[in-house]
Amino acid sequence: MYIEHLSLVDFRSYAQAELAPSPTGTTVVVGRNGSGKTNLIEAIGYLATSKSLRGSPSEALIKIGATTAVVRGQVVCPERSRRVGIDAQLRIGARDLVKVAGQPLRRIGDLSEVVVVTVFSPADLDLVQGGPAGRRAYIDDLAVSLVGRRAAMYAELERVLKQRNSLLRSVQISGWKPGRTLPVDVVSTLDVWDHKLVEVGELVVKTRRDIVAQLGPILAVTYCQLAEGDRPGSRSSVALTYRPSWDAPLADAVLRARSDDLRRGVTGCGPQRDDLELTISGMPSRTHASQGEQRTAALALRLAGHRLLTESRGTAPLLLLDDVFSELDAARSQALMENLPTGQTILTTAGQLPEGITPAAVVKVSNGRLEQ
Amino acid sequence: MYTAAVQDLIDELGRLPGIGPKSAQRIAFHLLSVSKDDALRLAHSITVAKERVSWCRRCFNIAEVQAGLHPGSGLAQHAASEPAGDAHTVLCDICRDARRDPKVICVVEESRDVVAMEKTREFRGLYHVLGGAISPIDGIGPDKLRVRELIARISPEGVEEVILATNPNIEGEATALYLTKLLEHLPLKVTQLASGLPVGGDLEYADELTLGRALEGRRTIGG
Repeated sequence: MYIEHLSLVDFRSYAQAELAPSPTGTTVVVGRNGSGKTNLIEAIGYLATSKSLRGSPSEALIKIGATTAVVRGQVVCPERSRRVGIDAQLRIGARDLVKVAGQPLRRIGDLSEVVVVTVFSPADLDLVQGGPAGRRAYIDDLAVSLVGRRAAMYAELERVLKQRNSLLRSVQISGWKPGRTLPVDVVSTLDVWDHKLVEVGELVVKTRRDIVAQLGPILAVTYCQLAEGDRPGSRSSVALTYRPSWDAPLADAVLRARSDDLRRGVTGCGPQRDDLELTISGMPSRTHASQGEQRTAALALRLAGHRLLTESRGTAPLLLLDDVFSELDAARSQALMENLPTGQTILTTAGQLPEGITPAAVVKVSNGRLEQ
Repeated sequence: MYTAAVQDLIDELGRLPGIGPKSAQRIAFHLLSVSKDDALRLAHSITVAKERVSWCRRCFNIAEVQAGLHPGSGLAQHAASEPAGDAHTVLCDICRDARRDPKVICVVEESRDVVAMEKTREFRGLYHVLGGAISPIDGIGPDKLRVRELIARISPEGVEEVILATNPNIEGEATALYLTKLLEHLPLKVTQLASGLPVGGDLEYADELTLGRALEGRRTIGG
């Protein structure tokens, strides 16, 4: 699967732009800081997910002064000999209008049938340095990209937590104090939400563990490929472990946490609090790894997810690497380019390419214009 | 912007479910443009419906009073928040039907679910309409539903089976689970509608929860 052609109208810094990236090789987008490289990545990301990769509201994607932005892409699936047009209109004060092959998009998940992207951006350092929420989102996004219908499971977990937390807060508002007995109705309703939480929670944890198990070996290889560039022969091992925030079984843990939950008005036990631990040579990367190691690990996480998706779908997602060389030294940049997965890749850079690398296509960005 | 009467009409229409300010405006101007008879016919049918339609005192389904019989004022309030009294003197068509089996009660969330069940022509028992589902987000606990009224029916009516037919979403499932626990000490059979794969659907498109539940609720057909 690849993007054959992309056209933008009034999207971020672009009044009008056309891009025809190399179908199977690497397209390098070169431009100075602030020239609009990331905006191009964001446009492709929008095409694949119908939302902003940076979490901006759609209105922020429209060029200042314009009222409508248009993102159009032609996606080619050679393995199914299909060519599909995606056509998105973003309007101020109205809902985004996304059409796939001329038909209005019914569910965002349906887009993943047509186009899937893996995105790396410098902000991904947060996967290693930041809190558990980012790592959970990484695994959960991957789970849904692998099997789209898992989205229903995550939606159910979120809804159950919302209901349970509402109930906990309503108990607080009713003036209940720890130590007093709870009304029978509250106890039996809590029982019900606990049951639902355990039911869907165990499914989520099982899914995450499955993915961690599949991802582990791929991640180890990917990290070595990147890190060995500067220290030939060195063997830094990277491992990924799922760390539940509770002791099994979940049903008992939820029940034990009930009095704390009632006091705090929030569900403190369950998959929504779990973490994913990343170690480099046996040490927790969050606290013990150097900046360089952390950057490499973050990139390796994205690339490993990309490879897992490629394996399971039988076709590579579109790989978007934003400002990736700013994260790596010369040796690791070289190692990255030599070990890039097959498939369409678009990467942006403000500086020079590593030596000896000749990309399939180079696009220059300046003043909101693309020059191919 | 509009004269008081027009603005009132727009405001009232805008309070209806699914009607936004623009639709309210459009309907209001439509009503102003049609003949007086047409408009008054609508007003009349609202009045008649509000006067005749009430909640069944037994199952809380929609019930209609025969013309001429007026069960009193203050009709058709949401019965749960209203003291049981003269407003509930009516029985619905289903509860009045002597051919129905009173030993089986099908518990649903809303009156419109009764209509859906009736369309199947498969069910010959009686109903009980809860008036919603447990949803703490909306401030709905068991006390806001007609749960007590359900329990009160079991022994006097000699109920032998309760079929839980709440919606197969999170709140409906939670309500069914709550009722199951409440009813399990009583001498009766509690069943739940099978949930799982839609007829005419494809196995490969079912999500894991649906498929999991369908597997859990599988039945033996041979061997």
